[in-house]
Amino acid sequence: MTDLVKHKLDVIENADPFGRSGIDDPWHAFRNVERLDMELHFQFKHSLGKVSPFFLALEEKRLLATRCPECGKVWMPPRVHCGDDLAITDWVEVAGTGILEASSLSAYTLTTGGGKDTLILGYVTLEGTDTAMLQQIRNCQDPGKLVPGTVMTVKWATEPVDHPMQLFWFELAD
Amino acid sequence: MSAGEDIVVLGGGLTRFARERSDGTPIDWMVEAALDGIRDAGVDPAEIEHSLVAYESEILARQLSMGQVIQDALAFCPRPSIRVEAGGGTGGAAIRTAYAYVKSGLCDSILVVGCDAVGRGVTSATVREVYALSGDVDFEMAAGGFFMAYYALMMQEHIRLYGTTEEQMAHVSVKNHRNAQSNPMACMPMAITIDDVLNSPPVVAPYKRLDCAVLADGASSLVIATESWARQHASSWRDRPRVYLTGVGCGTDRVRLGDRPKPYPGLAHFRAKKEAAQMAYRMAGIENPRQDLDVAEVADTYTGAELQAYEDLGFCDYGQSGPLTERGVFDLGGELPTNTSGGLIGQGAPPGAMGLAQAVEVLKQLRGECPKERQVEGARRGLTDIHGGTASFSVVSILERRD
Ligand SMILES: [Zn+2]
Repeated sequence: MTDLVKHKLDVIENADPFGRSGIDDPWHAFRNVERLDMELHFQFKHSLGKVSPFFLALEEKRLLATRCPECGKVWMPPRVHCGDDLAITDWVEVAGTGILEASSLSAYTLTTGGGKDTLILGYVTLEGTDTAMLQQIRNCQDPGKLVPGTVMTVKWATEPVDHPMQLFWFELAD
Repeated sequence: MSAGEDIVVLGGGLTRFARERSDGTPIDWMVEAALDGIRDAGVDPAEIEHSLVAYESEILARQLSMGQVIQDALAFCPRPSIRVEAGGGTGGAAIRTAYAYVKSGLCDSILVVGCDAVGRGVTSATVREVYALSGDVDFEMAAGGFFMAYYALMMQEHIRLYGTTEEQMAHVSVKNHRNAQSNPMACMPMAITIDDVLNSPPVVAPYKRLDCAVLADGASSLVIATESWARQHASSWRDRPRVYLTGVGCGTDRVRLGDRPKPYPGLAHFRAKKEAAQMAYRMAGIENPRQDLDVAEVADTYTGAELQAYEDLGFCDYGQSGPLTERGVFDLGGELPTNTSGGLIGQGAPPGAMGLAQAVEVLKQLRGECPKERQVEGARRGLTDIHGGTASFSVVSILERRD
């Protein structure tokens, strides 16, 4: 193997996935496979769109839901059109307490696996809203206490974060 | 062109599903699966009028417009082609679209070929991140959400509502890995016990590693045609049992689980699946699915998802899927054997290929062509169930043998 190709990962002699060998393998002349190390990079100027006031308000430790003027349903996460009747909604500020619907302790995150980092995700219906919101649950030593129906409270980040959704999380209410 | 005729599944093909198929590219696997299906149908590929290419993620395959590339590789140019995508439900969408194309008379025969490249050729963290883009991106993914967690949260609620146990879930894993043992195309054939599943490393509670389907490389194909085209063009028509596509239903649900209406579907139920199943049952004249069906391939991305599916497919009442599973109702030899191929857990889960692979298994079951270890004797009618997202999109198909 030369090192003339910088992205060459390896060359492998593949077995036939059906277990044939020699001249019984119709692909015997095609079994020497070269693999390359490849990456693909994307960069975006990602617009958060019409719901941006929700994300901007998080920087001021405020939670904005939307209320439908037609049916009165309060959506959290907010929707700019009512998800039931398509009326354009109004912003309403809601309190930072809610009811836990379900939770799960994960040994995986988006980028790590196998227990390197653990994560608790839960659905919480905030007081005054009609839908449940997914968010992280932190500082919970005993996941057994996360029984559906338990009161949860919002906590706010004080250090800079990468994404506005990381500006808050839920904890068990005192 | 003859609109409105009965629709036939003439052939089904597979290539080997594996954790990594570095012996070929996704195009290579698709050609292998297509040629296997064409051979099985007993038709001349030059006479098939149309193609349909099914895959979820061009990014993970590092090939955009794969439909055009596969058309070229299969020597199908200049005939017409269409690409179909519906996440994990891609194969189901492909079957239903193919049905519409031949039923409408737009063509009389169509080659359906599906694949995805999500095995070890790409890191699992990359796959997790790319697939998270198929759910809610700005709120849920940004909060750290990903699909394993969404399914886990659904099952936590199922456990709370019905007392479903981790042992009952584990039974599904044992069954599907066991069924895969007689399937040479399967990537995870295993003889395991309930304890093996319970003791496997935790993933996202309540799921452990052996509760989960594995990401795999693979491809599959179907040849679908009108009855009169099949009679004229397929050497298999005279000497093989004939299998018809008699129902194709589709349903949808809200992308975020927290937005779904309560109490039904709530967090624990697949409303899209119920909608799709009832549509397919109406088309096929099925009134009592557990009695009227002989075999079923059910979406088992996770063991609990298979249990949830039984209920919304109408195989049993809500909360009964766990107890019936423990009693062996869905095992080979039981009342309604499910995932005889091994399913996504035993056979492997390349999204664009898995929904078609389900139909390949049901086709072979109905023809009586499966190895005796997993052949359901006298099977006449079978179901396939596949979905995308947390069943934000769902397709149910019914295949029926007529002699
Ligand atoms: Zn409204």
